[in-house]
Amino acid sequence: MAVTSGEVKLSETLHFELSVPFPSNRLAQIAHGSLAPDAEPRKGGISKELRVTDNSLNVFWCAEEARILRVSVGSFLDHLALVLETMQAFGPSETQQN
Amino acid sequence: MTIVIGFEGSANKIGVGIVRDGAVLSNPRRTYITPPGQGFLPSETAKHHCACVLSILKEALLQAGIQPADIDCVAFTKGPGMGAPLVAVAIVARTVAQLWKKPLLGVNHCIGHIEMGRLITGAANPTVLYVSGGNTQVISYSERRYRIFGEAIDIAIGNCLDRFARVIKISNDPSPGYNIEQMAKKGSQFVELPYTVKGMDVSFSGILSYTEEMAHKMLGAGECTPEDLCFSLQETLFSMLVEVTERAMAHCGSREVLIVGGVGCKYLC
Repeated sequence: MAVTSGEVKLSETLHFELSVPFPSNRLAQIAHGSLAPDAEPRKGGISKELRVTDNSLNVFWCAEEARILRVSVGSFLDHLALVLETMQAFGPSETQQN
Repeated sequence: MTIVIGFEGSANKIGVGIVRDGAVLSNPRRTYITPPGQGFLPSETAKHHCACVLSILKEALLQAGIQPADIDCVAFTKGPGMGAPLVAVAIVARTVAQLWKKPLLGVNHCIGHIEMGRLITGAANPTVLYVSGGNTQVISYSERRYRIFGEAIDIAIGNCLDRFARVIKISNDPSPGYNIEQMAKKGSQFVELPYTVKGMDVSFSGILSYTEEMAHKMLGAGECTPEDLCFSLQETLFSMLVEVTERAMAHCGSREVLIVGGVGCKYLC
């Protein structure tokens, strides 16, 4: 990567995008409310952004190393699973399993 | 009538409690117990909590005989504690608070312990001895804040006891501290251990290393029994706590002591 004067370019940044559909906008907002507050445990090398668009929760990751990215995505999916289970157990009827 | 549901999972115990105006309606809980010789790590502890938190929540509502609509507020332990289990429980608390449209309240774990103690005992303004696996502090209330008068400068007393239990492979079921206490009752010989009070503070890591070393040496040579070591360790540690607590009471002119935290449930005569 060429280094131009006055700025430093990062080595290849890795990106990961996740789009999670929900039965309604409200549930997507709730998931956002539950998952957005926690900062990444690792101080540097990874950042993520959560956004709600209509019924979908979208998550965007930027990381410098593959293993850091993998750990963060894996951890997020575990937490997402917990949110979904909670919604199924205690949410409005559209999330109930028969 | 205010009904609050609280979620706590900052260490290896996960519990959900429902309280109405100071009366406990339900409080189901589970402990993540590891095999003898092993402590509990954050990620496994978090997995344990994730696996049972929802069924505990259902139990809590059932035992209290209330519906989510009856709840006024959702509270949860925000910290201090272990990161991974705290996050897992916080996520559930945030989700149900939003689903049920109730306000969410983050609670400081240490203050939670103290306020529970004051509620249950009715103590007005005691000197507080807060002793657990993660905390050892002598606390007093002054000008709208709880203030730490003295504390462990390295590891908490519960941590010292738990790690000693691991060295001599005492069972963690129901808790290592409980089993140490039972064994201590059968001890007959007092083994001299370091006594480290530093002014208002206490230090346990040196006692731990020394006791671990003595365990290997003396048990190997048959000079004492594990029960003797349990007895000696408890005597030493608890005497240190009594000293710093008495000092704080003298400083504050207080006549009441409130002992809170898991280690507090030991029978200290």
